[in-house]
Amino acid sequence: MATVMMTTMVVLLLLGFPMMIPLIVAAFIGFYESFGGIDKMQFMVQQFMAGIRPASLIAVPMFILAADIMTRGQSANRLIDMVMKFIGHVRGGLAVSTATACTLFGAVSGSTQATVVAVGSPLRPRMLKAGYNDPFVLALIINSSDIAFLIPPSIGMIIYGVVAQTSIAELFIAGIGPGIMILVFFATYSVIYAKIKNVPTEPKATWGERMHSVRNAVWPLGFPVIIVGGIYGGIFSPTEAAAACVLYAVILEFIIFRELKPVDIWSIAKSTGLITAVVFILVGAGAAFSWVISFAQIPQAMLGAVGITEMGPTGVLIVISIAFFIGCMFVDPIVVILVLVPIFTPVVESVGLDKVLVGTIITLQVAIGSATPPFGCDIFTAIAVFKRPYLEVIRGTPPFVFMLLLSAALLIMFPQIALFLRDVAFK
Amino acid sequence: MNDNKGEQRSTLPGFLGTIDTAISYLEAFLLAAGVLLMAVNTVANVVGRFVFQYSFFFTEELNRIIIVLITFAGVGYAARHGRHIRMSAIFDALPFGMRKALMIFIAIVTSLAMFALCYFSVVYILDLQSKGRVLPAMQIPVWTIYLWAPLGFLVTGTQYLLTAIKNLVSHDIYLSTTVLEGYEETEVEV
Repeated sequence: MATVMMTTMVVLLLLGFPMMIPLIVAAFIGFYESFGGIDKMQFMVQQFMAGIRPASLIAVPMFILAADIMTRGQSANRLIDMVMKFIGHVRGGLAVSTATACTLFGAVSGSTQATVVAVGSPLRPRMLKAGYNDPFVLALIINSSDIAFLIPPSIGMIIYGVVAQTSIAELFIAGIGPGIMILVFFATYSVIYAKIKNVPTEPKATWGERMHSVRNAVWPLGFPVIIVGGIYGGIFSPTEAAAACVLYAVILEFIIFRELKPVDIWSIAKSTGLITAVVFILVGAGAAFSWVISFAQIPQAMLGAVGITEMGPTGVLIVISIAFFIGCMFVDPIVVILVLVPIFTPVVESVGLDKVLVGTIITLQVAIGSATPPFGCDIFTAIAVFKRPYLEVIRGTPPFVFMLLLSAALLIMFPQIALFLRDVAFK
Repeated sequence: MNDNKGEQRSTLPGFLGTIDTAISYLEAFLLAAGVLLMAVNTVANVVGRFVFQYSFFFTEELNRIIIVLITFAGVGYAARHGRHIRMSAIFDALPFGMRKALMIFIAIVTSLAMFALCYFSVVYILDLQSKGRVLPAMQIPVWTIYLWAPLGFLVTGTQYLLTAIKNLVSHDIYLSTTVLEGYEETEVEV
């Protein structure tokens, strides 16, 4: 039964079915086999509903709404401007600024796509004009935007936290260290790249201009304060932090910056609702799938067959990393998390791994896989946003994928990169 | 991303088209209203807790009701606008004839799965109704909050069925009843 379920799922995915269908059909098969017919199919609907019910999932639409408001407003431009004024003039400064602005906007919006659109769109023309070549620029934007997966808020982490029954607040805090590490790698590479290619530097900003840019960016910088400070300080749950972000985004873009008009809220809400529904139908289908494979003890059978329990914690982390990396090269990260997390959860528990560490590593792998050819979904975001051909979008990615894999290896070897801040905050 | 120009008119003939367009407007309304209500509800609870030291007893239950509503209003709306996430890389590489045949197959299978889920969710709701449970804070019968599920599945199944028919009768390949395949139509979503 496990073989039939998994094969059907993969085949339907690859054929191009809407992603809910492979999950739903695999769950159908599982429930049919487990209960000997269709008499108990209402259990599947029951599990579907149980999947979308957790109160902590409400953080997902709230963060999407806040990001949706900000992407249409001024927050991104103000952050970009501040970063540019400070580091634009150093060698490779424009590239380093792009990476930094992506990370900052990731800390504001939590969405990779939002970051590609809000930061990548305005910065790409400037980088091209400055003399960077397009494959490098595209790869830098895609991969830096992926830091948004790790830096709180992170929708992938929320879904992992719900599926693996782990603290989302701890996951958020644990993502900060690896996110900054990756930014440092990307920045270093950008500087070296600019030196080798001899890209001219930008004029240096005066301190007056810098202070002005900081004053402009103070408001958007409130988002990380609300999210990280609020969660770190134990003031907010992630859902409450998300609600606070929505309120803050509304105050900023509608009242202070006046970039958006009250009528805009309707179309923003509709767009948020649509994205939410597309995610939640997957979460529901994933929950039904995950329930039935646990019920049939498929994870134990599958992983027992490859002898994973004898590999020890590090071996398990490596297997998990490879599985998520490969999964995300082909399929949307949310689907990969929904399918693979329940498969690995029993073994993670049996070898005594920290679920927050596992979640951070999974989130990192998801980020890497999403930017990796052949089908990483960020590549297609970039194709759609920048209207560039596939080959040009992927040509610059190998160095970035290498740096990300190096980060993953470092994280597995030195879990404190992720767990240090978490332990300071929660232990 | 920014489709606030109003809903597209249905391509169905006559009275059916009117119903289809009306459903589309209703879905869009429920999506936007649901998100706004959820935001107001969640934000009010946070403000209440920090400013007035008072949490609303119904916030979580209301959000649960709304998220079911959004999910099932959106599943049909996303089908209508060809917006469900899919891994189309292999699909896109196929020649025209195979793409068309595959799209018809995808639409029919998807539609059947949706109709099956519609039926099973009716069974589930009847099951819940017979148990007579109510939401603890709001005292609403639990089964009523799931009524959107069979409706959403029914609308989605119908959308995919119509997509299959549209592909059978027209020359081009359609992702939904109104959306042609191809990247030109791809909208960037945040």
